[in-house]
Amino acid sequence: MAGSVLAPVPASTAPAAKSRVRRSLRSRRTRSGLLNGAPIVVYMLVLFVYPILSTLFLSVKGVHGGLTLHWYADALSGANLAVLLTTLRISAETSLISVVIGFLLAYAVSRLRPLWAGLVMLIIVVPHFISALVRTYGWIILLGDHGVVNSVLVDLHVPGAPFQLLYNEIGVIIGTTSVMLPYTVLLLYAVMRGVDRRLLAAAASMGAGRLVMFRRVYLPLVAPGLVNATVLSFILCLGYYLTPALMGGARQTVVAALIDDEVMKQNQWNGAAALGVILLVLTFAGLSLLRLARAIGASARQRGAA
Amino acid sequence: MRSQRGSGPGAGALAGSGKSLSVSGLRKTYAGVVAVDEVSMEIEAGEFVTFLGSSGSGKTTTLMMIAGFVEPDSGVIKVGRRDVTRLAPQKRGLGFVFQQYLLFPHMTVAENIAFPLQLRGLSKAEVRRQVGQVLEMAGLEGYGRRRPRELSGGQQQRVALCRALVYRPPVILMDEPLGALDKKLRDQLQTEIKKIQRELGLTVIYVTHDQEEALVLSDRIAVMRDGLIDQFDTPRELFERPRTAFVADFLGAANFLPGRLENHTDEHSLVRLDHGALVRARPHPLAPGHRVRAAVQPGRLGLCAPADGFCTGTVETVTYVGTLVRVGVRPAGAESPIRLELPAGRAPVTGEQVGLTADPGDVTLFGDEEGR
Ligand SMILES: Nc1ncnc2c1ncn2[C@@H]1O[C@H](COP(=O)(O)OP(=O)(O)OP(=O)(O)O)[C@@H](O)[C@H]1O
Ligand SMILES: [Mg+2]
Repeated sequence: MAGSVLAPVPASTAPAAKSRVRRSLRSRRTRSGLLNGAPIVVYMLVLFVYPILSTLFLSVKGVHGGLTLHWYADALSGANLAVLLTTLRISAETSLISVVIGFLLAYAVSRLRPLWAGLVMLIIVVPHFISALVRTYGWIILLGDHGVVNSVLVDLHVPGAPFQLLYNEIGVIIGTTSVMLPYTVLLLYAVMRGVDRRLLAAAASMGAGRLVMFRRVYLPLVAPGLVNATVLSFILCLGYYLTPALMGGARQTVVAALIDDEVMKQNQWNGAAALGVILLVLTFAGLSLLRLARAIGASARQRGAA
Repeated sequence: MRSQRGSGPGAGALAGSGKSLSVSGLRKTYAGVVAVDEVSMEIEAGEFVTFLGSSGSGKTTTLMMIAGFVEPDSGVIKVGRRDVTRLAPQKRGLGFVFQQYLLFPHMTVAENIAFPLQLRGLSKAEVRRQVGQVLEMAGLEGYGRRRPRELSGGQQQRVALCRALVYRPPVILMDEPLGALDKKLRDQLQTEIKKIQRELGLTVIYVTHDQEEALVLSDRIAVMRDGLIDQFDTPRELFERPRTAFVADFLGAANFLPGRLENHTDEHSLVRLDHGALVRARPHPLAPGHRVRAAVQPGRLGLCAPADGFCTGTVETVTYVGTLVRVGVRPAGAESPIRLELPAGRAPVTGEQVGLTADPGDVTLFGDEEGR
């Protein structure tokens, strides 16, 4: 490893650097550090680097050998493109709704006394530890034509009831939102607990009403949490498979389901690999977006300062 | 208010903008424990009033009730003629400087100070002008673009003061605003606060447990103990005519000399101290024979030849504190030394036999049972 790192170093400095490496290799700390680090390096190589590299390779491998972008062209056209767009749409809808609901929930919890807050957080988070499959079937039972929700609505003579709440986008969004909610609530709750309520008192002492207090003091203080929660649930949603598959219809096919279909039914590994790489890129894009948002926030603050 | 502010070219033009404040029968209990017990006071417009008291005496709670952050169990609060007891904090038109500064971390210094002005709908240019003006007054020119966390504690404190002063609320409440600062900065900011308060004619209610600070700043001081005001008076009155032993002790750490009331003359009460000396004091209504404590401030005692004083003793300690010298004199047979504060030039030497003098007007008697 050391050699490859040193390779591009200009000749004049190379000997010095080499001797530094040799010296540090001789030190006990470096050696035991390498020894301790080795399992993790091996672990990462085997479980992350190798699969990703082989997926990348698969996605550009032609049927008769050689390199090709055919699989990407395929993944980004026709029905496959529609699936990709559906995935993005469902992820966006889910992340927005779960952030809005998460905000209201987290705010309500953050206003409770610590004991009650802990209890409510437990109630919100515990379902997360139940198998997603079980939860999804739970929703299917609740939301069916003769499920609890529709029965109640019918009994209440709500016009239009029973509603179609399953095997369409509503069903998928209900399902995915319930999966993402614990994340957004946890993230937002942590940020909200950190907000110094006395800042609001300070604003009030200067004559700020509730709306101004919220808009000019509270919201800016929790904004980083909102951005984090939105991006996180969006990214988690991108690769989510189970709920859309079970609670959606044909028009809610997501990329993950498409990959499953290509591998399991069509034995089409190259196309699946291309789709996987696209998901990976989208995830990284989401993360970079987060970085960008933070940078913009910081520079806006700097500019506000200027 | 806005037109007044808009037209005022400088601070001087606004002198006398403070409002009077009246509090009566203010009371607050927390789960049965009394935090503030029947506090009543009338504060005049433009007056600087300090709540002075030990920790837990109810100063903050009283201030919070006036500001509207804590709801009183009973009592009435009036700003000017207006009853604000049931009003939300934002509708009371007061200013508040918190001990912890509480600057908005997501805003710059200038934005923080602009906040209350923007709430009042001032034009951008006007906001900028007034922010610049107040920053200059606080010696913070050039700091407008910084974030609060990029400032030192003292600078943050000054920004907090600016933010409360900039919109010229008729009454400003300050809860130990200088508590976290070092001595030098405190002195400097005390002067600034006092100057601004005078120039704008603001009514200020100030909380501290530093008696020196209270004496420097205040027109009147309310000495608080256990949720009650022991005495509400000018600093001079508090010093010269403390109404309770607690007040005498809290302001200047008086000497308490135990003794027995011997008799009354026309002008004085005579007390036989336990170690034998006879001292003349301000008249006290108790009958002769009662046990009393004679309180006298260290700074009000003087030295003289052993034969000339009301009592004699041996100089035990001499400590220089700046231009003053603290001297401990123990009369024969006394349990503890009597503390004196003298100009450094008049310092005795340890072991010297000296006499003590005191003006009878500076010696206040308290019945023995009076709590401290
Ligand atoms: N929120 C509260 N809940 C219960 N008791 C309280 C509360 N706030 C204050 N107290 C009690 O009321 C009394 C007065 O408190 P307060 O904060 O007014 O004292 P203070 O004079 O400001 O003291 P300090 O100089 O330490 O700030 C104290 O005994 C305190 O324990
Ligand atoms: Mg306090």
